[in-house]
Amino acid sequence: MERGADARDDGALLEAIGDGDREAFRVLYERHAPWMLLRLRRRCADPNVVEETVQDVFVAVWRRPGAYRGTGDVAAWMWGIAIRRLVDRMRWGARRAIAPARLGRSQPVLSAEEQVLLGVEHGDLAGALNRLSPELRAVLEATVLDGLTTREAARLLGIPQGTVKTRLMRAREQLREELA
Amino acid sequence: MTGLDDGNGGKQRVRLQGIEKRFLRTRALDGVSLDAGTGILGLLGPNGAGKTTLLRILATILAPDAGEVRLLGRNPSRSRDRLEIRRRLGYMPQEPGFHRNFTAFEFVDYVAILKEMTHRPRRHQEVRRALELSGLESVSGKKIRALSGGMRRRVALAQSLLGDPDLLILDEPTAGLDPEQRLRFRDMVSRLGEDRTIVVSTHQTEDVAALCQQVVVMNAGRVLLTGAPRDVAEVARGHVWLADGRDPRARLAWRTAEGRHRNIGDAPPGAELAEPTIEDGYLLLVGERAFSEAA
Amino acid sequence: MSWHGDPALMETYALGILDEVHSSSIEAHLLRCERCREAIARHVGRDRIEGMWAAIEERLDIAPQGMVERLLGRLGMPDHVARLLAATPSLRLSWFGAVAIALAFATVAARAGSVGVLQFLVVAPLIPLAGIAVAYGPRVDPTYEVGLAAPMRSFRLLMIRALAVLITSMALVGIAAIALPHLDWTAAAWLLPSIALSLGNLALSSYWSPQRATVGLVAAWTLAVVLGERFSSVPYAAFRAAPQAAFAMIAVASIVVLARRREAFDTRRGR
Repeated sequence: MERGADARDDGALLEAIGDGDREAFRVLYERHAPWMLLRLRRRCADPNVVEETVQDVFVAVWRRPGAYRGTGDVAAWMWGIAIRRLVDRMRWGARRAIAPARLGRSQPVLSAEEQVLLGVEHGDLAGALNRLSPELRAVLEATVLDGLTTREAARLLGIPQGTVKTRLMRAREQLREELA
Repeated sequence: MTGLDDGNGGKQRVRLQGIEKRFLRTRALDGVSLDAGTGILGLLGPNGAGKTTLLRILATILAPDAGEVRLLGRNPSRSRDRLEIRRRLGYMPQEPGFHRNFTAFEFVDYVAILKEMTHRPRRHQEVRRALELSGLESVSGKKIRALSGGMRRRVALAQSLLGDPDLLILDEPTAGLDPEQRLRFRDMVSRLGEDRTIVVSTHQTEDVAALCQQVVVMNAGRVLLTGAPRDVAEVARGHVWLADGRDPRARLAWRTAEGRHRNIGDAPPGAELAEPTIEDGYLLLVGERAFSEAA
Repeated sequence: MSWHGDPALMETYALGILDEVHSSSIEAHLLRCERCREAIARHVGRDRIEGMWAAIEERLDIAPQGMVERLLGRLGMPDHVARLLAATPSLRLSWFGAVAIALAFATVAARAGSVGVLQFLVVAPLIPLAGIAVAYGPRVDPTYEVGLAAPMRSFRLLMIRALAVLITSMALVGIAAIALPHLDWTAAAWLLPSIALSLGNLALSSYWSPQRATVGLVAAWTLAVVLGERFSSVPYAAFRAAPQAAFAMIAVASIVVLARRREAFDTRRGR
C-alpha cells in the first residue's frame, strides 16, 4: 500500500488524528518512526526498550495530539517526547549503549551546513568532540543536543546526578582548551 | 472458524418449507418456501411484505409458528443447533442500534465479544479486519454518535462480517445510502457473495439486478416468484409497450426521458412492445402498491 | 554536492557505524528535513516498522474510552466483561445520578417522620428493580437483535448485567440507608425485598416483556406494603419476619424458574 503519498503536512495530520483518524496516524507513524528508532538506538543498547519507547511516543501522540502547540517542527516535538519516554523507561534498568566503535572508515568531509550545525567556524570542534572520552561525550550529547536536564541525563546514562555535572564541566574545559 | 463445509452436501445452505408466522391478527408470513446455496439471494418486495420477519427467522432470532427451517444443515428450533448456526452467522438488522458512547472500534469489539471471541489480541485483529473490509479504518477511533448515517450503516455491516460467517443476512442494507455509497456497498457485497450465502432484502430493483443470482419476490407474506433476476423481467414480456401517450389499457404508465410513454399492462394488439426490465416485472407482480412506493 | 542525500553518510549512520560527532549532526538535521527522514527510513526493516505498528494498535485498542469501562478495568475485571457492562443503560453515570437524586429525596423524607421511613422502604427495593428492567431487552438495548443472533447466550448477558446492576444499586441504597434517622432493623429491612423483586422481575421476563413484568411488580409491591400498614396492628408490617421469609422464598422460586426457562431469552417473543 502506498502510504507515503499523503500530501498533508505533519500539522494537518495531527489535526486529523485529533478527530480519531487512524489513517492519518499511520501516515505520521511511517514518516517519523524510522528516524526515531535509529536515534533512540544510539542512546540505548536494548532493542526492546528502543521499540517500546517508539510505541510509547505514538500512543502518547494518538491520545493527545493537541499537545503540539502548532509552532516548530513536529519532529522536534516528537523527539522531545521520545527522549523523555526513554529516560522513564531507563529507570527500569536498561543500560545505555557504549558509544559504537569507530571502524576506521575514511571520515566524510564536513559540509558547510554541518559546520554551521555544529558551530564549527573556527578551530577544529569536530575533532575536539571526537577526542573527548565516550563518557564525556555522552553527557554533552544528552544535555546539549537532546536538551535534557542534568537529572534526566543522569537517569538516562545510569549515573549519579553529581557525576553528570562534573563530567559536563570537564567536557567543557577540555573543549575550551583544545579550541583555544 | 469453520470452513466452507456446511454439513449438508455443500449446496443448499438455506431451506425454508411452508413457513407461517402470525402476530396477533396479522399474518406476516403465509406459507413461505425458499432454497438458497452459495451466492446472493435477493428478497424483493414492498414494505410490509414480510421480508424483515422472514430475515429474522433466517437469523434464528424468531421462531416460525409452522414450517421447517434448515440453516447450514441444522435446525434452529433445537438449542444446540441454533448455537452452531449462530457461530457461522452474520446479521445486519434493518435499523441497527448502537451504543452511541462507544467508538466504532469499541462497538464492533462489543459484538465480537458476543460472538464468543474472548482472546483479546485475536479478537482485536478480527475487529480491525472487519472494519477494514467495510472501509472504516480512518474512523475506527471515532464515537459512533459523531458518524454520518452512511458510515453507521457500514459499522453495522462490519459487525456482521466478524468471524467470516458462512451465512450473511442483510436487511435493507442499501436504504438511506447515497448513490455513491450504494455502488461501493454493492461492490463489497458482491465480493463477499463469491464464497458464502448472502440473503439480502431490498425494495430496490436495481440492487437485485446488480447483485443477485437468485431473487424471491414477496408481497403480503407470500412468495410471488422465485428465480433469476431475468425471470422477473420475463414476467413483463409482452406487457410493456411504448406509445405516444398514456394508454387507457395500461395498469401503470410513465413518461420516459425520450418523451414517449412506457405502458405496463395488457398490451393492445399491434402495440410497439418494449424489452422488459426487472422493474417492469416487479411492478406487474406486486401491482400499484409497490409502484406508489417506488415513485 | 549538497549535504542532503549523501547516501553513504546516511547508510553509515543507519548502520550505527558513523562516529558520534557526525551522527549528532545528522540527527540535528533530520529534525528539520523531511527529505532526509524519508531517505533514512529505507534503512529500517519493514518487519520492525510493522511489528511496532501492530503493538501500537493493540495498545490503543485495549484502552477503553468510557469511564465505566476504565473503572471496571481498574477493579480487575476482565476487559470483555467490562465491555459488556459498559453497554448497560443502567450502569451509566446519568442513571446513577437519577438514583442518587431519588434516594436523596427518600432520605430527606425519612428524616421527617415514620411515614417517611416507610416511603424510603417502599422506594428502596424499586431501585434495583428498575435498574434491572432497563439493563437488557428489546426496547432498552439498541443492539438487542444483533446480540440475539450472536452465539453468546442472551441469558448469560442478562445475568452478568443484572448482577452488576443489583450490586451497584444496592450499594447506593445501602449508603442512603445509613443516613436514616434510626439505625435499627428498618435500615436493613429493604434488603430481602430488593433481592426478591429483582429476581422476580427476571423470572417474569421469561414470560412477559421486561417492561410489563416491572409494571406488574411495582404495583404488587406498593399494594402489599399499603395493605400491610392498613390492616396490621404493628407498623412496617410488610417488613416483619413472616413477610421477610416470604421474600426469601420468592427469591428462591425465581432462581428455579430462571434456571428452567433460560432458553426463553434465546429468541424474540412477539414481533
